[in-house]
Amino acid sequence: MAVTRINIGPVHPSTHGVLRLVADIDGDTVVDVQPHIGFLHRGVEKLVETRMFMQNPPYMEKLDYVSPMSYDEAYVAAVEAAMGVEVKERAQYIRVILLELQRIASHLLWIGTMCNDIGQMFTAFMWGFQDRDMVLNLLEEAAGGRMFYVNMRIGGMVRDLPPDFTDHALALMDYMEKRVREYERYLERNPVFMERMKGVGVLSYDDAKNLGVTGPVLRASGVNFDARKNKTYYVYQKLHFSTQVQMAGDNLARYKVRMMEIRESIRLIREGIKALPDGDALGMPVKLILPAAKNRISIVSRELPRGECIMYLVADAQKPYRLSIRSPSFINLAALNFLAKGQRTADMFGIMGTLDLVMGCVDK
Amino acid sequence: MTNNLQIPPGMGLNVTAYINSSNPVYSVGGIIAFAIIVAIIISIFGYVFGWLERKMIAKVQHRHGPTYVGKFGILQNFADLVKLLAKEDIIPDSAERTLYIIGMPLLVSVSIFLVLLLPFAPSLQATNFAFGILIIFVILSFTPILLFITAFSTSNKFADISAQRSVLILLSYELPMILAVAAVGIAAHGYNIASIIDAQSSGIFAIFMPLGLVVLFITMLAELERPPFDLREADSELIAGWLTDMSAPYYALSLFLDYSRMLLGSLLITILFFGGWEGPLLPPIVWLLAKASIISIFIIIIRATTVRMRIDSILKFGWKWLLPLSLINLVIAYIIFA
Repeated sequence: MAVTRINIGPVHPSTHGVLRLVADIDGDTVVDVQPHIGFLHRGVEKLVETRMFMQNPPYMEKLDYVSPMSYDEAYVAAVEAAMGVEVKERAQYIRVILLELQRIASHLLWIGTMCNDIGQMFTAFMWGFQDRDMVLNLLEEAAGGRMFYVNMRIGGMVRDLPPDFTDHALALMDYMEKRVREYERYLERNPVFMERMKGVGVLSYDDAKNLGVTGPVLRASGVNFDARKNKTYYVYQKLHFSTQVQMAGDNLARYKVRMMEIRESIRLIREGIKALPDGDALGMPVKLILPAAKNRISIVSRELPRGECIMYLVADAQKPYRLSIRSPSFINLAALNFLAKGQRTADMFGIMGTLDLVMGCVDK
Repeated sequence: MTNNLQIPPGMGLNVTAYINSSNPVYSVGGIIAFAIIVAIIISIFGYVFGWLERKMIAKVQHRHGPTYVGKFGILQNFADLVKLLAKEDIIPDSAERTLYIIGMPLLVSVSIFLVLLLPFAPSLQATNFAFGILIIFVILSFTPILLFITAFSTSNKFADISAQRSVLILLSYELPMILAVAAVGIAAHGYNIASIIDAQSSGIFAIFMPLGLVVLFITMLAELERPPFDLREADSELIAGWLTDMSAPYYALSLFLDYSRMLLGSLLITILFFGGWEGPLLPPIVWLLAKASIISIFIIIIRATTVRMRIDSILKFGWKWLLPLSLINLVIAYIIFA
């Protein structure tokens, strides 16, 4: 049969934003697929050079609109490293709690979009969004915004946690634990779902390393790497959690890694709230002129919900001279061609779903 | 003339008797009355289930569904219909114009024609062929071909892929479906629809041939291309599949097509396995439509709980499971009834 070239996107139900794929399809088999990116390119890396350090977090958050606080924190951490500022202990705990909440919110949305990608399962989509909304409510309590928070200051937070936040968070974690079990019952007992996931889009240990994929995609291929453990930061080494690794490397493994990560995040949040020390959590004021940055170059590695993000910051006194972001979605998108070749057309979208792409993060 | 048009004694509201009457005036009048009644049934069913599907799926997904237009959003579909019909009818330049224009109306008329071949009650049936059920399934098998032509006429690549899939899955379900019907034929000693229903007066076939029911239900889902077999309209892959380049009025027709085919499918399952209009107290047509509605609700609920199957796994499923099951069912039917 002749090879058909089809254009998918940039406006398409399962490209999650503005990804454009040009796919060559032979019958129902994908011969080749080329991602075309840049539809959401805003030049953030250049933009931050024109602004002072603490004017930039709002731009950073828009990189990944699914888990904005993670990017916010990664950037602020890079600035902190440049200035040589130590984060207050209570602020460290608060950051860990909020980041793990953000991870849960991101993974919940991923469950929904992935189920939608592999085939019109809007039920999981709606459930995922509903539960994500509860997490967002909690983050709104803490930060004042639902989508964009701008909640980090150098050395601490904008504001301390509200007084009843911990109670709400613990109650939500109990609920979330129940819901995760429910998702697993609902999805893993569905033979059609399992058939679409199991053995599809296998990424072997070596290929995963060679392609340089990060985050859950990497761990699903058996590579035990988590920036929270291997390049530990804040109080992660004091808290107990395990890196989730699956050996299979297929869609199902990527799904399982993320489901287990939600569980680990719940564990981290509970432990973090228990160990939350008293004291001051506020950071330096936003209109920051001094101290000037001490270190010319600072490199910070953070485990975002999508994978490892590396912020490479070359600092002037009050401004970034150059900021380079190694964004996890961009790296993972590069694996799409490798994974989708030779697969069925329908599976190409499933694989794309399990890579968990956010186009804001890809295009920067 | 006026004498002739008076209702003859004994016929009353019996449409069948009018149609079979030797007087041509009565016969034509009966046919027209039957067509109008069936058209009303199809329209009401299509409308109600179009709304019910949205509401039920919404309930499963913790949403509200339509609420604003009318009480419980009951008029939402009407508003949508008005919107679709008011939109501009754009036919792509590259489309095969004639086929594009006649394709969808032809599909709708074929599916309505098939409903017209079905009996709704002893007193409400137009045809009474000896091989009625076979005729229906034969014509039903042609719909994917018509669909293929319609999709192909839009000259859209997504529609092409969807049309190819539609014909491909035909290979997997057609044989088990006919074998399930054949088992019913053995049990009822014939393919006449009325006699199939009569044969179930002592016990519905669903009890004797549960395997056949399962096979027919699954293949009917595939025939109607409802989830998990909705490869034709795989919206996360093919945007809207065969409807990608269909303009609004044709899209409205396609929605009507889907629900009229759903009525057809659930009526066929009702007739073949649930004793059709058999039932105490209530009039036959109420029983028939009530049973068909329950089956339609099952068909709808499945959509909320499953993902789409892949084309190769549908083929595997058809040949590995449905075909052997339908053969076993055939043997069971032969042992019990022959």
